[in-house]
Amino acid sequence: MTMIDVLTKIDRRIIYLILFSVVTLPIIFPSARSVRVMPPVEKLYRAIDEIPEEKALIIDFDYDPQTLPEIEPMAFAILRHAFTKRIKVLAISLYVQPLGLAQNALVNVAEEFNTRASTQEDSIIYGRDYVFLGWQPPPLIPILGMGESITNVYKTDYHGNRTDTLPLMKEIKNYGDVGLLVSLSSGDPPKWWVEYAQNRFGLKVGAGITAVSASEFYPYLQTGQFSGLMVGMKGAAEYEEQVETELGIKVRRKASESLPSLTYAHVVIIIFIVIGNTGYFISRSKQRRSQ
Amino acid sequence: MNISSDPWVWVSALFTIAIFSFLWRDNPFYKIAEHIFVGVANGWAVTFYWHNVLVPTLFDPLFRQGQLLFTIPFVIGMLYLTRFMPRVSWLVRIPIGISMGYYVGASIPAVSQALIIKQIQGTLLSPHNFQAWHAGSMGIVWSIILLIGVLCTLSYFYFSKEHKGILGTTSRIGIVFVMIGFGAAFGYTVMARISLLIGRIQYLLGPWLGIVD
Repeated sequence: MTMIDVLTKIDRRIIYLILFSVVTLPIIFPSARSVRVMPPVEKLYRAIDEIPEEKALIIDFDYDPQTLPEIEPMAFAILRHAFTKRIKVLAISLYVQPLGLAQNALVNVAEEFNTRASTQEDSIIYGRDYVFLGWQPPPLIPILGMGESITNVYKTDYHGNRTDTLPLMKEIKNYGDVGLLVSLSSGDPPKWWVEYAQNRFGLKVGAGITAVSASEFYPYLQTGQFSGLMVGMKGAAEYEEQVETELGIKVRRKASESLPSLTYAHVVIIIFIVIGNTGYFISRSKQRRSQ
Repeated sequence: MNISSDPWVWVSALFTIAIFSFLWRDNPFYKIAEHIFVGVANGWAVTFYWHNVLVPTLFDPLFRQGQLLFTIPFVIGMLYLTRFMPRVSWLVRIPIGISMGYYVGASIPAVSQALIIKQIQGTLLSPHNFQAWHAGSMGIVWSIILLIGVLCTLSYFYFSKEHKGILGTTSRIGIVFVMIGFGAAFGYTVMARISLLIGRIQYLLGPWLGIVD
């Protein structure tokens, strides 16, 4: 058996083991990280940063446990940005599964701010600074209905409070009072927001998506239908970088911590692809010569 | 090392390992984890929809508050169940027709505007589109490449004429763009799957084994 035969017939379990090692070691022994913020993420950051004081940011939490590592860091970074700049936040979910994850992100980030706060003004208060409207099926109903009246679509919030009694909801009536909607999603929702809410009501839409859907969503950025775009763990790390450098918020950066593992895993996969293809072409040319 | 004493963390970690064991080969642990997941997910979804959709939006208004107008959606919804009765199964076409009519009516103008007209506008060689690339004077070059890519790819999918002559040339260029698109999609898929693996390993090393924070 030649070297080429050995390389092209590597047992898949050996490949898994190598991949497992290169992903695990950088987590146990973290190395220095540097993240360069790319224009799509920069655009999203600016779009959120420039939301006028009287308008709100809607965050649509549409990720589930399967895509948590990619999208949850985006949610945390955006919430930190919005709460630091005192941007009013409305949180919603078009699916059932993300409800608990959305609540977790909102409570954790609010808690981060409230432990540092010394007065009522510094604190992030539910109902005044943010509201979690929860879930209202089917997705088309809230997407179109909120253009007319948000409190008509969500009569009660996630906690069962009547939305028309919450101070924030007295200021934010419909999309006219919304500066930007960011859809954090592992599926089609960003497209629905563009198709229905943007087309009909002119709502500005940004997106944070899984890497799998990136090639499907980039055209929306180029046409200006998306005000900005974050893609996968790399996009989340870029937003974390932007939040840290611009706002000086130094907290744990889960996406940035994962980048070395992501990089080394890609290098390993590239090496295996090169080995596989080299072996294939060499063995093919040998076969042709022998014929 | 600070191993978790929380039983739920252990349940979560052991199920993760059971699912990962499929990478070695199919085995009973993987099968058990898979079946429990399917059962739990379905049970959770049915009860959640019952308590959060059917009861508050249909059964309560109709049966407790006596709002008779809700009889209409109730009856139409119940027609879905006629699927199981061969003699009247044709009635299922009524709710399906209503749903299709609503969604098709709502989506055709929206999709035409967002996916066709806006995307065509984005392909035009206009100063606005040059600037959209945020690449200075290179914006013109990218816009031209985009236009060539779109036209050649469309020509590849034109099957009413044999791919010879000019059509042959453009369709061959088109397939290059299609392959680059597939390559990018594959690369992103690898990135996504590795990210999910990282998330799980962080969980096993963090909350479960306590090796990392």
